[in-house]
Amino acid sequence: MSTPTRTGTSVSMTVNGEQVDRHVDPRRTLSDFLRRDCGATGVHLGCEHGVCGACTVLLDGRTARSCCTLAVQAQGADITTVEGMADGAELHPLQEAFWKHHGLQCGFCTPGILLTVQELLADNPDPSDEEIREGISGNICRCTGYQFIVDAVRDAAAVLRGEKATEAE
Amino acid sequence: MTQHQVPPGLIGARVRRKEDPRLLTGRAQFVDDVVLPGMLEAAVLRSPHPHARILGIDVRAALELPGVFAVLTGEDVRAACATPQPVVWRMIPDQRMTDQYALAVDKVRYVGQAVAVVAAVDRYVAEDALGLIDVEYEVLEPVVTLDDALAEGAPLLYDNWPDNVSCRQTIPKGDAAAAFAEADVVVTETLTYGRQMGTPLETRGAVMSWDPFTDQLEGWMSTQSPNLTRDLLGEVLGLPVDHIRVRTPHVGGGFGNKFDFYGEEVLAALLSKRTGRPVKVIEDRLESFVANAHSREQRIEVSVAAKSDGTIIGMRGTVWAVLGGQLATVGIGPCWLSMALMAGPYDIPHVEATVVGVVTNRSPYGSYRGWGQPKANFAHERIIDKLAHELGMPANEVRRRNLIAPEKFPYPSQVFFYDSGNYAECLDMAEQAVADRGWAKRRDAAAEEGRSLGIGYSFHIEISALGPSKIMNQAGLQHSSFDEEVVRIDSAGGVTVRTGLSAMGQGIETALAQVAAQTLGVPLDTVKVLHGDTETNPFTGYGTGASRGAALGGGALLRASSRLRDKVLRIAAHMLEADAEDLEITDGVVAVKGAPGGPSVTMRQIGDAAYRRLDGKLPDGEDPTLEERDVLDPDNVAFSYGTTAVLAEVDRETGRVELLDYLLVHDCGTVINPMIVDGQIHGGATQGIGGALFEEIVYSPEGQPLTTTFMDYLIPTASEIPTFETLHMTTTADHIPGGFKGMGEAGTIGAASAITAAVEDALPELDLRLTRLPVTPPRLLDALTTATPKDPS
Amino acid sequence: MKPAPFGHVRASTLDQAVETLVAEDGDAKVLAGGQSLVPLLAMRLAQPTTLVDLGGLRELDYIRDEGDHVEIGAMTRSRAVETSPLVATALPLLPAALRHVGHVTIRNRGTLGGSVAHADPAAEAPSVLRALDAEIIATGPGGRRTIAAADFFQGFLFSALEPDEILTAIRIPRQPAGTVVAVEEFARRHGDFALVAVLGAARLDPSGEIAEVRLSVAGAANTPLRADAAERLLTGQAPTPDVIAAAATAVAEATDPAADIHAPAEYRRHLAAVLTRRCLHRLFAHAERSAAA
Repeated sequence: MSTPTRTGTSVSMTVNGEQVDRHVDPRRTLSDFLRRDCGATGVHLGCEHGVCGACTVLLDGRTARSCCTLAVQAQGADITTVEGMADGAELHPLQEAFWKHHGLQCGFCTPGILLTVQELLADNPDPSDEEIREGISGNICRCTGYQFIVDAVRDAAAVLRGEKATEAE
Repeated sequence: MTQHQVPPGLIGARVRRKEDPRLLTGRAQFVDDVVLPGMLEAAVLRSPHPHARILGIDVRAALELPGVFAVLTGEDVRAACATPQPVVWRMIPDQRMTDQYALAVDKVRYVGQAVAVVAAVDRYVAEDALGLIDVEYEVLEPVVTLDDALAEGAPLLYDNWPDNVSCRQTIPKGDAAAAFAEADVVVTETLTYGRQMGTPLETRGAVMSWDPFTDQLEGWMSTQSPNLTRDLLGEVLGLPVDHIRVRTPHVGGGFGNKFDFYGEEVLAALLSKRTGRPVKVIEDRLESFVANAHSREQRIEVSVAAKSDGTIIGMRGTVWAVLGGQLATVGIGPCWLSMALMAGPYDIPHVEATVVGVVTNRSPYGSYRGWGQPKANFAHERIIDKLAHELGMPANEVRRRNLIAPEKFPYPSQVFFYDSGNYAECLDMAEQAVADRGWAKRRDAAAEEGRSLGIGYSFHIEISALGPSKIMNQAGLQHSSFDEEVVRIDSAGGVTVRTGLSAMGQGIETALAQVAAQTLGVPLDTVKVLHGDTETNPFTGYGTGASRGAALGGGALLRASSRLRDKVLRIAAHMLEADAEDLEITDGVVAVKGAPGGPSVTMRQIGDAAYRRLDGKLPDGEDPTLEERDVLDPDNVAFSYGTTAVLAEVDRETGRVELLDYLLVHDCGTVINPMIVDGQIHGGATQGIGGALFEEIVYSPEGQPLTTTFMDYLIPTASEIPTFETLHMTTTADHIPGGFKGMGEAGTIGAASAITAAVEDALPELDLRLTRLPVTPPRLLDALTTATPKDPS
Repeated sequence: MKPAPFGHVRASTLDQAVETLVAEDGDAKVLAGGQSLVPLLAMRLAQPTTLVDLGGLRELDYIRDEGDHVEIGAMTRSRAVETSPLVATALPLLPAALRHVGHVTIRNRGTLGGSVAHADPAAEAPSVLRALDAEIIATGPGGRRTIAAADFFQGFLFSALEPDEILTAIRIPRQPAGTVVAVEEFARRHGDFALVAVLGAARLDPSGEIAEVRLSVAGAANTPLRADAAERLLTGQAPTPDVIAAAATAVAEATDPAADIHAPAEYRRHLAAVLTRRCLHRLFAHAERSAAA
């Protein structure tokens, strides 16, 4: 049992609510596993060394860098990617707020930022602008200059607190 | 300036972007999301040496690794290619060209230069194979810095050159020598701009599929310039362009890095040809720091000759371009532009500016948002600040005295005609906004508490709407720069716009839809914009860069849509038995002007009349279908401009600079979507801030790159970036339909100048002149501890 | 940036993990949270034959009150330590320092044991261990042994752990009531590794003199640094600006920083003095406030 497995390891996890059972090379990163083996191409690879945050997913409800996690480490985990945020064809209030406030340009960092903010607002439903900035400071956005992201998060927080209705297009 | 003013409506509206829902839900396709049956993945072996001769490459062990399909070396590539990697900007006719292939053939000239490439079942195995390739090098002495390269007896990068200088050009205007001879005051500065790069969050990548039976090459590429790429692929691979199809999925940021044409695309194509399978090559982040075009690094010597009242009568400057080991696609282009725009927004009668391109054993120098302009701006704004200091005048007074007056447009600069503007009003607005926001009071109150706040300004111009093709050809561009757009109304009244521009985050889909919807009088959500396929979309001459997409694409589309609207009205007039002149289109319904509730036809009915049930509806002599095409090759480029104001705090004990507030007053002609324009300014300014305070590609004295990860190359996060505010004014570009100017690079240009001025203002008692970027905490601490106190006079 | 091939053992017992390390004879690596190791694998800077994955060892995930000590299992996630009420009361310096570790996302996955075993002199957790005289418990083929933090960190990314040993727990002495803490960190960007960080914990006695002070410095030498000389200067003194300035100088003199692209050594030494002074000022301002309250 303690013989190292070089040819492959079985992993089972839930990805956006679906049970996934695969045989993977132990060196396969969770990000590659999600993108290639589960079709979750909303997981983006910006640096593959844990700095940019584009590959952020929720692992058992907490954010994780999927590039700094091996697929085998997610054994038994419940994974949510950006594909799992919307409710059917209904955008999540955060997605709606990012759309309204122009909180994205090229959109490459956006999946990671959305999931990071989802955790931030769960921990702190009414963050100050400084707390929002600190909360997303592990996610590099090369396009927006962050201003409209901060605006979107502030607005979405109010919606999620139930203080205002979501403004769908 | 009213003829092209667009009535209020969708053009000028803050509408949500059409591209966002797919980007927000993970449904947008980027190049690495493209997976084809049988696809292989490639990895590139790169030189570990800055300068070395390749004596031999043994790939046998790599080829034997299970899962490896092919390995190519430089000799394979040279044999397979019709030409070396192209250089499209050739401003200086006698420039020494470097003529390199996608893989090094005999010599490597920078760490990271591609030496061999592997195609394997996946990227993991491809990287395993790289470790099995044995390259024998004869290491040569590297030429790491500008001074190394220019030193007497320096090693030569190119053995058949007399020195390491690729090119030199001086462009004079007036008589600078005379101006300097009669000046009351002359000030001189030497500036060093750090090496940086665009660093889109999505690295570069391509999937290439070569059909060996028909020699059809199909590519998916993360590129800003699909048509240029197709033409260059055709040249390099010796294929007719109709054999090449370039598809551009969503581009995860370009910033110029993806304008250039790189060797990896060629390698993937050749590997596909060799293996008969599609081949994907995705640059990883480590590679990006050596394989992406670098930019910005220059030494600039600048002087001005002025009268004692602050009037500048002459300017001289030399741009020393720290090029890499070979020329990138744009050659000397960006550095040449630094030289050509060194006088900036100022009415200086006598200018003499020189650019010298020097090769070093660093990665090639290519495009980055702003091109040469942030450096030109740093030169003219730093020297204005220094002149003001010398004369004891406020810097903005010196600016005001020298800004080009509104009545002087079109204004002939050294090289370009500036089209229009009201520069002084822009500066006034910024000063007023700063006063309204009480920055000076904040600064003075903070000083009471022992804190050091400062206010800095800069004025920038931005060449945009590039540009007239024939003039660009005369300037050395081996390509065109017009834009072609197609608009069609379908049989059910829906509108489809086809564009050759790439969607890379700048909201081009939305901006073009706004132009078409307003011109045609239809709701925005009935307009679809198709992009990203050279086989079905029109030709964009240059590419999506040079702040030209919205201006030229928008202008061409406006004209095409206007003609299409005329046809719609003719058909409607026939159906309604009215005069076309009396009709208007509102929300997709054509009706008689000022007759609400009267007879009308919908766009759906017009579509039906033009495509399906023509009889009795389509006027005689009118062709079926509803499609128009337009090509805009403008008479001139345009110049947007703006004033940047920064409130900064300096920690005197650590040298850290914190930006407390940031304001930009901007004029880019008619604004299509102010929300997008603001976002572009914020993002550009953030890159400018990065270059001013954080980002620098550093090499060791031995020529090894030391910034190879995101832990070393410091892109600012939300915690380092201030709140932005933008104010707008509108001076239209009368030579562009719609009056659009373009503005994608604006924010990057004036950031460093304003920030350095703010830092100096925060240390008012010191005679401190910041001349080197980025201003890192250790550098600033060193500068402020060694600076002498100001002469009290 | 894809890891080279390796084998993987998902240990179901600690013994099995140790056995695998022994069998692989120094070529295996222990995988905890992976936040430092997986990037090194991706860059192929680490190419172990086998990863011994501790992810399944729930028995290493705990925070336990042991009276005069708190014991933290090696696989406890940094975020769990940072948000633990027990740690907040008994070891306030630890959460104050952990808040500077990367970002929440990193701390969600990174473990305290992993960070300590990695022995990065610029990291926060090792410096906390030095300041608080913690003990590191390692388990190897010969059983458990306890290593003082002062002996554990031996060089840059180099610790007293043997190749066949696993860091299994950390024991940290409970801090006396009335201890106040401050962390002054200077990083180029939020969440970056510190250029220098100064961590302090202190108590004032009722007369306003410094009863106890603990100071450590990250990023100023090839191991986390305990500022003993400065502590001696401060203890028993009233925290006057002069005393604080002398302590700051003493800290700077004790540093032996390296130069890198972010800062020359001299700048780091200077920062150590500036940050020490700021840390101490903050510390004693807190202490006076808490004494007044």
